[in-house]
Formats: sequence, structure tokens, C-alpha cells
Amino acid sequence: MTSAIRSFALAVWLLPRNIVVALLRGYRALISPLYGDVCRYYPSCSAYALGAVQEHGVFVGGALAARRVARCHPWAAGGVDDVPPSRTHRYRRTRFGFVVASPHGKG
Amino acid sequence: MENFFLTILWPIRWLVELVLVAWHWLFSALGMDPAGGLTWVLSIVGLVIVVRAALIPVFVRQIKNQRKMLEVAPQIKKIQDKYKGKRDQLSREAMSREMMEFYKETGTNPLASCIPLLIQMPIFFSLFSVLNNAQHDKVGVGPLNAALSKSFGHASLFDVAPLHMSFQDALNEHNAAVMIVAAVMVALMVASQFYTQLQIMSKNISDETKNSPQFRQQRMLMYFLPFIFLFSGFAFPLGVMFYWLTTNIWTMVQQFLVIRAMPTPGSEAARRREERLARKREAQLAAGKIVLAEPAVEGGEPVVKRVSTQRVQPKSNKRGKKRR
Repeated sequence: MTSAIRSFALAVWLLPRNIVVALLRGYRALISPLYGDVCRYYPSCSAYALGAVQEHGVFVGGALAARRVARCHPWAAGGVDDVPPSRTHRYRRTRFGFVVASPHGKG
Repeated sequence: MENFFLTILWPIRWLVELVLVAWHWLFSALGMDPAGGLTWVLSIVGLVIVVRAALIPVFVRQIKNQRKMLEVAPQIKKIQDKYKGKRDQLSREAMSREMMEFYKETGTNPLASCIPLLIQMPIFFSLFSVLNNAQHDKVGVGPLNAALSKSFGHASLFDVAPLHMSFQDALNEHNAAVMIVAAVMVALMVASQFYTQLQIMSKNISDETKNSPQFRQQRMLMYFLPFIFLFSGFAFPLGVMFYWLTTNIWTMVQQFLVIRAMPTPGSEAARRREERLARKREAQLAAGKIVLAEPAVEGGEPVVKRVSTQRVQPKSNKRGKKRR
């Protein structure tokens, strides 16, 4: 019973970032390809935002993504710039990109 | 939320109004009808010219990077060859990483970031709200005063197609002229956008990229894109459409010139440029304007020497010695 409550609580906790993940996936599928490759970094800004929100949640991830978009301008050096990994890496990602409880149950 | 956006956009709206009013003043001073639709349309075209000209430094930087890219083309080819035929996602990612790192090291990043695209959005929105306000006889935030705002809001192209009207409004008010103008503009917009995309896709992409799944997805979207314009042509006022169309045409011409002069290494456009240069060289050889000298290194490319048609100024022996 407690584990059911726990997994429900976790799903609620992860809901905001999963909503944002769905939005970002939609953006990447429909809008990004319209203007092709423009980003001076790898991964591109939207891929970075997706990774940041998956890894750090809506607030911290959102802030990281905003910082990245601000850094990506025509005079930036560019290059490889990955999302900094979370110190507590607890969740698993589905194929689509949703964040769910890890099978090890450490959540 | 809307107020928040309007506050943020205030400086941009102010500038948009200033540029628009300045062009309007110029055209009126040149003897055009200040209340005429054509005067306002040309002012919008002028606005595009100012905006795109302001973006030229970004564009020049891109050209410089592309020129540098031609110099390091063999190394880029090497990276491309390393991943030749590998189409799985991991290899593609590894290749993108390697390319990006290489661009950074050599300062040849050909991408411009999304700023040149994003900068258009507030301008677009500002123009939209300027037109919208003018239609409701609201005054602009700056240089667009009450009289000018009214003039803009009531301007009609050729006195039959009001600039504030969209296709949708025209349907309600049975204005065939607006419908025709909007339809022609949508057709031109679709054509120019399609041509711009097609130029990039069919000519300026290396063979390796052409085989990637992302490219196929992008090409699919190219055919889907015209529908977006159909929607926008339906919903946006003619004045906003004129801005969009002009900026599209500017992009098309700019893209054409860049692809011709500085194509992506390993692409169709690069091969065509090589052919063009080779033909030009042969023609010059035939005309005797240049000669091929011995290769600088054994087995290397023959050195092209330009034959000067200018007479060499004769020098006295004395001066010739001094200079040496």
C-alpha cells in the first residue's frame, strides 16, 4: 500500500516536467525542422532544454535552458555543451523521453 | 500576461513605428499620397530593408566563417568519411559532436544561432499590433501619432484592399480585392519559401547529411510548410503579410548568392561551383589571359599564372638596381 502511495506521489512530482517534456517533443517534431540547423552548439538548444528538464526538473532545468539560449548568439564560439548531470540521478527515461521512476526503486 | 509582453516589446514597437513613419515621411516628401495604400506598403518594404540591413553584420560573419570553412574542407571531408554509411543514431550523434568541436577549434561555425530568426518575431508582433491599433483608431506608442495612425489604419492598396484586412475579414465583408491580393501574396510566399528551402536542401547539403533520417524528416516538412502560409494568409492582415513576403524574398536572394559563392563542402552546389571555376579557367586559358606554370611541388597542381595585359613600365638600369 505504501509503495502505491509512493509511486503515485512520485508520478505527481514528475508530472510538471513530463508535461514540459511533451511540449518540447512537440516543438522539436513540428517547429524545429522548419528552420533547420541553426544552433551553434551541440546538442541544439531545444535538445539541451529537453535534457535539462528531464535531468533537473522544470525550474532548475528551465533556468539552465534559458541560460543556454542566451549564450547561443552569432558571436558565441559554439561547440559541444552538454547538460550538467544531476547529482542525484534517480529516474529512468522512456523511449519518448518521459521521466519515470527507476526500476531499482531507489526513488 | 498580454500587458507584460506589451511592456517588454515597447522599445521594439517604438523603433518599428519610428522606421515606418520615417519611410512614410520620405515617400510623402517625394510626392506620393500620404494616405495612399501604396505609400504605406512601400513604408513596410522600407521597414524590412532596415531590419534586414541591420542583420547584415551577422550575415557577413556567417560568410566569413563559410569562407574559412572552404579552407578546412578536406578535414571536414575526413570527418564525414569516417562516418560514411553509418546511419544509426549513435554514430550520427558522435559525428555531430565531432563536427561541432571542429567548428569551434577552427572558428568556422557556419550556423548563426536562432537570434536572426527570433529577432523577427517581436518586429512581426509589433507591426501586427501597430496595424491592429491603427484600425481601432488607437495611437501608437511613439512616433506614430493619432493622424498617422488613422492614415495607416484606413489605408487601402489601390483604394480597394484595406491593409488592416485579412482574408478572413474579407470573407465576412465580401471584399474580393483583399481576397485576390491575399491569395497572390500567399502564392508568392509559398513559392519563395519553397525555393529557398529547395536551394538549401537540394544543393547545399553534403551527401552524408542527405542520407540521415533527420534530413528526410526535414524534407517532408518542406512540403508541409505551404499549409502554414495558407493559414497565415487567412488570418493575418495584408500589412503584416507584406512584411513577411518582403522578408521572404530578401532571404531567398541572400541565400541564392551565398550558396553560389560559398557552398557547403561536399555538396551539389560545391561541385557546380568547381565546374564553373574550371570552365572559367579553361576559357581564360584559351583566351591567353592566364598560363599554367610548372607545379610548385612535384606531382602537385599546376600553378595558375595571370598574364597581365598591362604594359610593364620600362625602368632605367640605374633605378632597377637601386630597387633591388
